[in-house]
Amino acid sequence: MKTLVTAAAGLAVGASLWAASASAQDQIRTIELLTRPQAAQPAEFQAIQLIAQEWRKLGLDVNVNVMPWSQMADAVWYNREDWDVTAWQMAGRPERSDPDEIIYNLFHSSTAENGYNFIGYKNPEYDALVEEQRVTVDPEARQKLVLKAQEILDADQPNMMLVHPQQAFAFDKTVFDPASVVDQSGIGIRSYWTWLGLTPTGDQKDIIVNSSDNVIAVNPLYISGVTDNWLTELIYDRLFRVGPDGLPQPWAAESYDWRDDTTIAVTLRDGLTFHDGKPVTVDDVVFSYAATTGGEAPMYAPFGSNVASVDVEGDNTIVFTLNTPSASFLTSSLAKINIIPKHVWEPILADLSTKDENAESYQEDTPIGSGAYKFVRWLPNEEIVLEANADHFNAPKAERFILRLVPNAEAALGMLRSGELNFLTDFQGDPQVLLDAAEQDGDLEVVSTVDIGFRYVAFNLRRPPFNDPAFRRALSAAVDRRLIVNAAFKKFAVPSNSVVSPALEYWHAEDVVTGFEAGSDVAKSILQEAGYGGVGDRLTYPDGVKETLAD
Amino acid sequence: MSTLKPFLIRTLQLMLVLWAVVTILFLMFRLMPGNPLAAYIDPTFTAEQQEALIRQFGLDKPLWQQYFTYLGNLLQGELGYSFRYRTPVAERIMLLLPNTLILTFSSLIVAYTFGILAGAWLAWKRNSRFEAAALPAVLATRAMPEFWLGMVLLAIFSFSLGWFPAGGTRSAGTSYDSLWQLYTSANFLSHLFLPMMTLAIYSQGLPLLLMRSNMLDVMKEDFVTMAKIKGLSPSAVVIRHGARNALLPVMTSFAIAVGYQLQGNVVVESVFSWPGLGRELVNAVAASDYPLAQGAFLMIAIVVITMNLIADLLYTFLDPRISHA
Amino acid sequence: MPDTSVKATSSGIARIFEAIKLPVGDPFALAGLIIYALFIFTAIAAPLIAPYDPTEILYTEDYDLASDLLPGEEGHILGTTSLGRDIFSQIVWGARSALLVGFTAAFMVAFIGSVVGLLAGYFGGRVDAFLMRLADVAFGIPFLPFVIVISAFSEPSIWNTVIAMALVLWRDTGRVIRSQVLSLRSRGYVEAARVVGSSDLKIILRHITPNILPLSFLYGSIAIGWAILTEASISFLGFGDPDAISWGFMLQDAFASQALARQAYHWFIPPGLAIILVVSAGFFISRGYENLLFPKLGR
Repeated sequence: MKTLVTAAAGLAVGASLWAASASAQDQIRTIELLTRPQAAQPAEFQAIQLIAQEWRKLGLDVNVNVMPWSQMADAVWYNREDWDVTAWQMAGRPERSDPDEIIYNLFHSSTAENGYNFIGYKNPEYDALVEEQRVTVDPEARQKLVLKAQEILDADQPNMMLVHPQQAFAFDKTVFDPASVVDQSGIGIRSYWTWLGLTPTGDQKDIIVNSSDNVIAVNPLYISGVTDNWLTELIYDRLFRVGPDGLPQPWAAESYDWRDDTTIAVTLRDGLTFHDGKPVTVDDVVFSYAATTGGEAPMYAPFGSNVASVDVEGDNTIVFTLNTPSASFLTSSLAKINIIPKHVWEPILADLSTKDENAESYQEDTPIGSGAYKFVRWLPNEEIVLEANADHFNAPKAERFILRLVPNAEAALGMLRSGELNFLTDFQGDPQVLLDAAEQDGDLEVVSTVDIGFRYVAFNLRRPPFNDPAFRRALSAAVDRRLIVNAAFKKFAVPSNSVVSPALEYWHAEDVVTGFEAGSDVAKSILQEAGYGGVGDRLTYPDGVKETLAD
Repeated sequence: MSTLKPFLIRTLQLMLVLWAVVTILFLMFRLMPGNPLAAYIDPTFTAEQQEALIRQFGLDKPLWQQYFTYLGNLLQGELGYSFRYRTPVAERIMLLLPNTLILTFSSLIVAYTFGILAGAWLAWKRNSRFEAAALPAVLATRAMPEFWLGMVLLAIFSFSLGWFPAGGTRSAGTSYDSLWQLYTSANFLSHLFLPMMTLAIYSQGLPLLLMRSNMLDVMKEDFVTMAKIKGLSPSAVVIRHGARNALLPVMTSFAIAVGYQLQGNVVVESVFSWPGLGRELVNAVAASDYPLAQGAFLMIAIVVITMNLIADLLYTFLDPRISHA
Repeated sequence: MPDTSVKATSSGIARIFEAIKLPVGDPFALAGLIIYALFIFTAIAAPLIAPYDPTEILYTEDYDLASDLLPGEEGHILGTTSLGRDIFSQIVWGARSALLVGFTAAFMVAFIGSVVGLLAGYFGGRVDAFLMRLADVAFGIPFLPFVIVISAFSEPSIWNTVIAMALVLWRDTGRVIRSQVLSLRSRGYVEAARVVGSSDLKIILRHITPNILPLSFLYGSIAIGWAILTEASISFLGFGDPDAISWGFMLQDAFASQALARQAYHWFIPPGLAIILVVSAGFFISRGYENLLFPKLGR
């Protein structure tokens, strides 16, 4: 061994020069950047290409790793230690009209292990803040806390926020009265309220909409997908609904009364009936809430978990007692949980409780709710037909609601133009093509809305160099968001630097977005200030920081 | 020797093949990396809920045990539960199978009718300039990606001219009392036309070329020459003697073509939003819904294997030149 | 059965050359060979011919994409895609992917098929029975779905697609070569070699292999077409290699970017034509071989 060392001495002189520079400043390993395939997510794919291109200009070695969603979910969600950076998205849903779900679940340290905080963000100051807003029922006091939370996130840059997409929808204005279309805040014209109010002006009395995602289930106890939710929303009533203004309003509830921070009494509306003719009673409501937390509906369970007890008072009042005060209870629980008929589901759940399967595997032949539309027929991979429930307290103006399953944007647009569809509810294609088509056609109106949801690049904060806020800020600042908006989203998006969408005007911190400086030069100077070497060439860690994760 | 024996041997061999394919299928889907349920486990699930789901799909058992359960279930026609839809796979596949079969058979009938006639005609016209131009054109149709042909037809006849609907099997919200009523309705046929033509244009090449070369063979044989000597008109010779004898091998190829066509459907169904087995397979694979993908794959394999067997037997029994030994 | 025996008089190497003699006499095959020559040239010289990197996103200073340009605009011969990539350059580089996919798949198919056919035909008995049952299994596997599943569940890469194809497609070659070997084995000169005590290996290499090479080439040239078409389908369905610009990828990109609704024929017609041209060239050449091998069909 000794002789070898001596023999190698000559070589070591040359190597030491190299070693000296290497030991002072360790090169940052090749960073793996995950994204989904272009075919599935063209805008995300495009954005990632641009981001990789800009990061390389800083001197970072980036490898873009394309994988389908299931693989990506597996890599990021279930192997939390092992990934570097990934493209990610949060979808806009009515219950996300309350900022709590996003600002709490995504960043609170308690969800870092196996919840939504998959990036591993841990900040005690932030934790305290979001815990407080949760139990602050006074809106103004809560608003301040929510704004403050966004400022902390801006300073820490745990994620590189990209954009809030603008969703484009279109409908045939010769078929429907444009004035009857309801643009729900943060959701757009593809809203529950549109399906109730949409007024046919001619012979075509059916609303024919499309989805590129397949319908997985029509099941009131299974959160199976965004499209499926359009259907359950229509078939089932809920005690509350998120209104066109984004705030919860009584629906199947006649009225409500907060008796104290943790007790709310809800009075059920009179004369509600299920589609099979049986009346909706308080027992059904109690049963519905019990069903969500009864172990057979795991996906709904979190929405009912804060409910300590549900009691009946008199003929038509239900009293909910909560474990802890909750500012978002109306939106996230009462406007979320479907009212299901006890006479249908009680035997089903009893049977399921003896089996491995739960309620999520159960598909009724004809789902029975009390909602504004009744279920008629489901042709797999083709269409689902609902018809108006004329007896409903808010009966729809249209006769039927028909959901066509059209897997690609090309066919959907063709169908819209030929009248095979009259309301384009899902368009994954280039919005400019849609606008051009509308202009050419003359009968179509295109409406776009800023989404509650957002697209971002998530850093794995557990892994250096992403544990350094300065490094994250530099990477985040490296790309001008206008580039992402224009090039990847074809101008159908707004730049973002906050997880709370501008669509939620009341909660959105505008300064955080307008004050964000970006550009290659900004990024480079942040890196230099933080002590990173080889900026623009081959990036190295600041003095004393070692690369521990290189292969 | 009994004529039944080769039949039995072939059938037995194909049962073995089926078992091998089933095993390959099982291994292919189970040995893929990643947690198969990852895409379906909601992030908000507790560990207990995740385990319950894994138990529900039997994924907690050792591989060999899963294999025997799978084989046992298959023997009872049980294909398991879809990860995604949580409903029985067999049920879903049986609903989609008719759509795929009608598309396959209608396109093949069109392709074979055209191919046989055109092939006979080309043989009749041999060594003409027309033949010289037609042959490369026919070869080119077989070189076309089917989905591309579908795209072009869709762009022209649906998007530009608006003659045909852009996808699906029927107009929104229409219902029919029976499949027969549906399949004979103008509504359905107008939806069927473009995907059917796409597949037919691609598949006519095989019967056409086969028919042509068989015709040329047959026409050299003695009995045709005899007929000519007897003074029958050339067209009568071709039709009465040539075509009849040349037709047999072409019809045998029909069975094989069904199997091939079923595979081509996979792409064409996606282009035309056709609710069939092929599109379901692609969706299921994209969504990592292994039981469903496996079921759709198996269904296609069964048709392919059965059609191979039929072709084999037709060939053995109908063609006297093949010995039964 | 085809009779392709080459007289065992000249040396081994010369016989191989004799055996794979390109069918230039046939006008079809000649056309095919010319197309192939052009195609191979394009694939090799792609960096010189293509004006842009096929994946480079071209955008302007004010953050606008150079997207959806029509043919001729700003010097783009076939315009640009919706992501601002040069279509002509993609066509040129697509030739390289097609060449790689087509030729490796064809080589693997011809190689596996020939080896299987040789072993089964020459040794017969259990070896034969086993290999032919294996071929039966390969015939029972639906080809495209199999390739889809393998491509989707493994790392997206062209090679996985190629391997998946080869795993199934050898079946036709294997069967045909086997029956050819069966008929060769009973020929006089093979019998003679055996009598003088030549080893099996020597007999296979010297006397049988040269005679089955043309058949391998015939099936290889058909497999080129199959491989290119299959790769295109896989890419079109979105299971392809995202880093490799192939003609199938271009078609998928065009379809996903709504080239049809845009009436962007300049985008989705050229890749289709390129595929047709190259695949039919393979068919033309295989017909040429057929005429050489099965003269009775040659008309």
